Amino acid sequence: MNKLISFDIDGTLEVGDPPGCITLDMVRAAKASGCIIGSCSDRTVSNQQRIWETAGIDMEFTVLKHQLDAVKEQFPAEDYYHIGDTDLDRQYAERNGFHFLLPDVDVAQLWENGN
Amino acid sequence: MTSSNNFQWRRDRDGLGVWEHRGKVAIAGYGHSPVDRRWDGENLDTSLGAYTMMACEKAMEQAGVTIDQVDGIVCCDSHIAGGSGGSASNWAPRPYFDAPYDSEYGITLINAQWLIGAMGFKNVKFAPTGVPTIGEMVGMASQAVGDGVCSTCLVIYPTGNLEGRYRRGGENADDYARGARQWTVPWGNHGGNDFINIFPHNQYCLKYGGEHDDLAPFVINQHKNGMLTPWGFNYNHGIEPISVEDYKTSRYILNPLRIWDCDRPVNASAAYLFTTAERAQDMKSQPVYVLNHSQHNFRFRTTQPDLDEVEMWTDRQAARMYEGAGLGPADVDIFNPYDGYSIMTQFFLEGFQWHGVKRGDAFAFYAGDISVKGPHPFSSSGGNLGNGRTRTAMYTDSIEQLRGTAGDRQVAVKAETALCAFTTPSSGGWLMLGKYPS
Repeated sequence: MNKLISFDIDGTLEVGDPPGCITLDMVRAAKASGCIIGSCSDRTVSNQQRIWETAGIDMEFTVLKHQLDAVKEQFPAEDYYHIGDTDLDRQYAERNGFHFLLPDVDVAQLWENGN
Repeated sequence: MTSSNNFQWRRDRDGLGVWEHRGKVAIAGYGHSPVDRRWDGENLDTSLGAYTMMACEKAMEQAGVTIDQVDGIVCCDSHIAGGSGGSASNWAPRPYFDAPYDSEYGITLINAQWLIGAMGFKNVKFAPTGVPTIGEMVGMASQAVGDGVCSTCLVIYPTGNLEGRYRRGGENADDYARGARQWTVPWGNHGGNDFINIFPHNQYCLKYGGEHDDLAPFVINQHKNGMLTPWGFNYNHGIEPISVEDYKTSRYILNPLRIWDCDRPVNASAAYLFTTAERAQDMKSQPVYVLNHSQHNFRFRTTQPDLDEVEMWTDRQAARMYEGAGLGPADVDIFNPYDGYSIMTQFFLEGFQWHGVKRGDAFAFYAGDISVKGPHPFSSSGGNLGNGRTRTAMYTDSIEQLRGTAGDRQVAVKAETALCAFTTPSSGGWLMLGKYPS
């Protein structure tokens, strides 16, 4: 079973406002490695979909910040991760049984180490 | 040159009669800086100070006024992110920059003294300190010009925002509710008006029927109007319109307040040039006239106002304003009340009875045609919800509507009077503007 990674956008991804340290290439790499990937943000779903469409990345899910529970219900996975930059990200991640990761050097190393 | 603000200028009592300077004071220019989400902490050209100078220059340019002609500066000298805004409102302890950015002034705070030095104003004789927010500043400047304290007065409202959690520093970040805060915020800080207004809003729904999400058409319309405002945040940052589904599925910030019911903090500045009606005749742009200003600061009966109290307050605000302007609800063409949280706007709409809306009618009114091209172009500015937390859209739109320069936002109905405000139900101020002085 694969891992599932949920990405917050603003403050997390390079295309966010403010930009975060997670690049779109890192998102692509996660997908290429077999992870189930999607975004989870306070941006509207249509706006999230437009970002991924523009980036040419096919996401498995695009949900609002408080809808991680639905993601877990819909996608069986080996493990669940949410990467976000705020306490709110942590709150929703932990409430719904996701590992919470800040978009910092540590999380970037996961990619570098091929995890 | 500077003096403390003694508040004697306020028109904050019932029964004051028609304003003695009605139609004798005018707004001859305005200027907006770009509206950014936050300052990046590096580019001084986009700092709050630089943006404020830019806004002043634009306002003077529009009016055709030189820097030497300005003899009054009324500038809000407090943090919009709050005194306990933490890293979102205080630059220190980070190192400062070369002058004039060698203190918090110019970065997170602006006051008249800083502006006088940074821009080189030479003839300013009225530059009060302890200036309130724009809801009252426009009244303060109107009264100063009317009283002859100054004749060409810049009113400046800076709204700074740095990276970090907005209003979540200092005592707001404390794990304990100390002192008086044990009674007012025992569960931790809230934004103030978000929580304060939820209780009467819920009472409103119970009393008159309807539910919170009946606000959706209003909020969506604010976003639409914001997309028609070329200087605003939404227009310039690709913020897409929201749908009813977007609204109804959005996250609660404080149930039932949804994320789209709240405005977006921004880094921006705006300036308005007030002068005498007589001088305005010779200035570069079409003046709009101040028909009245009024203020209010009602005392809470308890820590939590209820619906009866809020309705009484807004009734009194309306009575004061209409009396001072010598006008009634049927005379107001443009109505731009405050919308920093969408849940408070219905109280103003009904209190001022714009377009015949009475207590309990607001949700049905929102469900009708409130678009700028329709018969009831409510809040044609888009307010804070459509433009970011500048708290100035209401004023600029009112000026533009009366001038006929609102572009795609120009209403199709008559636009000869406009009522605008930054106010909460309990405190703030209103301004009545006219296309003509009488």
